[in-house]
Amino acid sequence: MSSAFDFPGGIYPPERKQRSNQAALVSAPLPMRVTLPLQQNSGQASTPCVAVGEQVYVGSIIARREGMISSNLHASISGVIAAVSASHIIIEGDGQDTWQRLPSLDWPHSAPAELLERLNESGIVGLGGAGFPTSVKARVVEQHVIHTLVINAAECEPYITADDLTLRHHPTEVLEGAQILAKLCGAQQILIGIEDNKPEAIKALNKALPNSQPVPVALKVVATRYPSGGERQLIKRLLNLNVPSGGLPADVGVLCHNPGTLLAALQAVRDGQPLVSRVVTLTGEALTQPGNRWVRLGTSVKELLTQAGLDQTSVAQVIQGGPMMGTPLLTLDTPVTKLTNCLIAATIAELPPAPAESPCIRCGECESVCPVALLPQQLHWYARAKDDAKMERYHLFDCIECGACSYVCPSHIPLVEDYREAKGRIRLQRIESVKAEHAKHRFEFRQARLAREEAEKQARREARQAQNRRPHSHASTENSEKVDLRGLRIAHAAAKASVKKAEKTLARVAQEDPKQPLDDLEMQLATAQENLRAAELQLAQAREQQPSKESS
Amino acid sequence: MSRMHASQVNSRNAASVPSTAHLMRWVIMATLPGIATMSYFFGLGVVSNVVLAGIFGLGLEAAVLRLRKRPIRVTLNDSSALLTGVLLGCSLPPASPWWLIGVGMIAAITVAKQLYGGLGHNPFNPAMVGYALLLVSFPTYMTLWAPPQEFIPSHLWAQIAGILPTAQLDGLSGATPLDAFKHKGEAVLASEFWATDPLPNDTLRAWRWVALAWLAGGVLLLVKRIISWHIPAALLGSLGVLATLFYLSDPSHFASPLFHLLTGATLFGAFFIATDPVSAATSRRGKLIYGAGIGALIMIIRTAGGYPDAVAFAVLLMNLCVPLLDMYSVPRPTGQQRTSPVKPGEQP
Repeated sequence: MSSAFDFPGGIYPPERKQRSNQAALVSAPLPMRVTLPLQQNSGQASTPCVAVGEQVYVGSIIARREGMISSNLHASISGVIAAVSASHIIIEGDGQDTWQRLPSLDWPHSAPAELLERLNESGIVGLGGAGFPTSVKARVVEQHVIHTLVINAAECEPYITADDLTLRHHPTEVLEGAQILAKLCGAQQILIGIEDNKPEAIKALNKALPNSQPVPVALKVVATRYPSGGERQLIKRLLNLNVPSGGLPADVGVLCHNPGTLLAALQAVRDGQPLVSRVVTLTGEALTQPGNRWVRLGTSVKELLTQAGLDQTSVAQVIQGGPMMGTPLLTLDTPVTKLTNCLIAATIAELPPAPAESPCIRCGECESVCPVALLPQQLHWYARAKDDAKMERYHLFDCIECGACSYVCPSHIPLVEDYREAKGRIRLQRIESVKAEHAKHRFEFRQARLAREEAEKQARREARQAQNRRPHSHASTENSEKVDLRGLRIAHAAAKASVKKAEKTLARVAQEDPKQPLDDLEMQLATAQENLRAAELQLAQAREQQPSKESS
Repeated sequence: MSRMHASQVNSRNAASVPSTAHLMRWVIMATLPGIATMSYFFGLGVVSNVVLAGIFGLGLEAAVLRLRKRPIRVTLNDSSALLTGVLLGCSLPPASPWWLIGVGMIAAITVAKQLYGGLGHNPFNPAMVGYALLLVSFPTYMTLWAPPQEFIPSHLWAQIAGILPTAQLDGLSGATPLDAFKHKGEAVLASEFWATDPLPNDTLRAWRWVALAWLAGGVLLLVKRIISWHIPAALLGSLGVLATLFYLSDPSHFASPLFHLLTGATLFGAFFIATDPVSAATSRRGKLIYGAGIGALIMIIRTAGGYPDAVAFAVLLMNLCVPLLDMYSVPRPTGQQRTSPVKPGEQP
C-alpha cells in the first residue's frame, strides 16, 4: 500500500471524517444575498468593475484581476449589486439563478493560450486552501520543464472530506480537468496521491482511470499519516523528490493540483462556467446534518450552518479549515470564499481549549514528528529569546506550519504560533532593510549625478579658459597644480569595472528570476555609469592639460 | 487572528499523547519494580529513602517556588520534583540518614534545578548532581551498601534518624560487586577472585535481580513510548562493546561485559537517569552520541577511575557536552542542501 519513499516524522491524529463523509454531495439552497470579498486568492485583491444597482447574472464578472498574481471574481447568484466597498461586493439575489456562461471550449483542440485565458477569465484558483491563481501556476512552464502533474487528494487533515466526496461523485471530470492542466504544462504523467482512508474515492478513481486520455494516469495510495497532503511531503512520498528549500515543486518538474481545482478548471473550459461555487465540508458535533455541499461563493457561514442543523447551545467554536491548520472564526457573519474548504462547528467536548502551557522539557517529541526534520524545540528557545538570526539559521522558513509539533508537545506549547509570529517579524525586517538599501542607492545615484554634472561644468570651464589662453604660451598650465593623472586613471578603471559588475549582476538576476523587481539594480547600474562618465571627463580634462606627461 | 492550538483536536485522547505531568508519573510508576525488588533484597531502607527524598523534593520545590514567587500547586503537579526525589532515593544506600537525603535533595532541587530556572532549564540532571555531591562529601555514608538482609533490620530506625554510632555503621556495610571487583588488587586474577567467593549472602544474585527489575521498568517506558530507545540503546551498546573488547583483551584482569551490564547502576542509569530529556541531547543523532558517551565514560571510570561505579559522573560529564552535541547534530531539513548553512560556533 504505502510507497517506499517517505518523509520524516508525521502524526496520526483522530480522523473524525466519518461525520461528514456519510451523506452524498448535494447543493446547498440558493442564497438570497451573497457577500463576495475582493481578496479570495493569494496575491493582490481584485478591483470591482460593477456599480451599485447594476443587474448581474451568475458568472458575470464583478471584479477584475489586479497585477501579476490575482484573479477575477464573478457574481455567484443573479440579482442586483447592492453594495461595492473597498473590501467586498454584495449582491441582492432575484431568485432566478440566471446564468451567463462563456462559450464552451473543445479542449483537446484548443490552443494552450486560449485555455490559459479561459482559466484566467474564469477566476480559477487553487481550492485546497492557498488560493493561488491556477492560470499563473500553469504558466510556470515558461521557466520550468514539468514532467509530472500530481493530483493532491491526500486530504490529510482530520474532519475534511471535500476532496473525498468530490472524487466519489466526479472522478471522470476531475481526471479530465487534470488532462487539461497536463496539456498546459506538458506533463508526461499524472499521479494521483490519495490516503488509504478513502476507499470509496479510490474505487471511483480506479473505475475512471482506464478512460482518461491522453496522458497516462497512475493512482498511488499512501498510508494515512498527517501531513502527507503537504505539497512537499506528497511529492517526496510519490516521487521521492525533494523540493529545494525556498523553491517550488516546479523546480523538480512537478505541479500539484487539488481535485476541486481540476473540477473547476474543467467546468470553466467545457461548460464556460466561472468559479462561482465550491464544495464545502460542514461538520462538527454541533451540526445535526453534517456533510458536503456545493455552496455558492459569498453564502453566509451562519446561513449555511443553520441549514445544516447548527445547535446554537452546544457549539463552542466554528473553525474554518481543518483543526490542525485552520482558523477559528470570530464571527459567523462571514461569507464562504474560494478558500473555505471546511467549516467545523465544534462542541467544547470535541475540541476543548488548549491546556495551560508548561515549560519545555526538551523531550524531542516535536523533532521526531516534524515532517521537514527541523528542530522545533531549538526554534522554540530562539523564538522566545527573539533571536531571529538563530531562527533563520535553524531553517525557520522551511517550516510548513503543519502543527505536528504543537500536537505532540507534552507541555502544550503553541509552537507554530511562535514560528508564525517570528516569520512575520523577520519578513517585516527584510522589507524594512530592502527599503533602507533602496534609499541608500537612490542617494548614491544622486551624488553620482551631481558629481558628473560638476565634472561636465568643470570641463566646459576649462575648455573656455584654454581657448582664452591659446594666444599666450603653455606656461600657465605647467605652473598650475600638479594633476594626479595616475590616480585619475585608476579611478577611471575602477568606475569602468563597477559598471561591468553592475551590468553582470543585473543580467544574472533578470535571468534567474524574471519576476523580481529590478529597479534597484538598475539604479545601481545607473549610478556606476554616472561615476564612469565623471571619471572619463576628469581624465580627459587632465590629459588635455598635460599632453606631454601623458605620452611619456 | 491566532490559529487554533493543534493539540485541541487531540485533547480527548490525552492518553495517546501524554502531557509532561503524565510523562513524569509514568517514569515514577516504572521505578516501582526496581524499588520493590531492591526492598525485597535490601530491606525497608530502600522505601524510606524514596519516601524521604520524595517529601524533601516536594517541600524544597514548594519553598523555592514561594521564594521565586511562582505558582506552587501547578508546578508541583507536574511531579518532576517528586521524580527527582524518587530517583535520588533509589540511588542512595538503603536506610540512608534523613539529613544525608536532605542535603542531596537541596543540591538537586534548589541548586541544580531551581537556581537554573526550574523545570526545563537545568543543564545537569538534578538527581545526579545531588548524588555526586553526596558521594564526594560523605563517602563513608555513600558506600554503606549493606549486603542483602532481612526486610526490617533491627537498627533501621536509628539508622534513618542518623543516631547510629559510626562504629556500628561500619559493621553494617558490605561491598557491592563492583566495589569488590575493583579492589581485588592487581595481583589477583579474575578467576581467583571469583573462586574466593568474595561477596556475602548471594549479593551478586540480588544485584542481578535488581538490574533486571530496572530493565523491566525501562522496557515499560519504551513500550509506552515515554522514552525513546536512542539513549538506552547507545549507552548499553557502547558499554557492552567496550567491556567486551576489554574482556577479550585480558579476561583474567577485566570483568565480563555481562558483569558490567548487570551490576551497579548501569540499567537504572540507562533507562531512568540518562533519559532525562531536559539535560540530554535533543536530536536523535545527538541522543545516540550522548548515550554512547555515557556508556564509554562508565567503562573508563570503572576500569581506570577512582570510583567503583560511574553512572552519575558519566551522566554529568555528558550533560556538559549537550550544548555542543545539539549544535553539531542539527538534522538536515528536507529540501536543504547537504551542507547545512548552520555552522556551529559561527556567531550571527
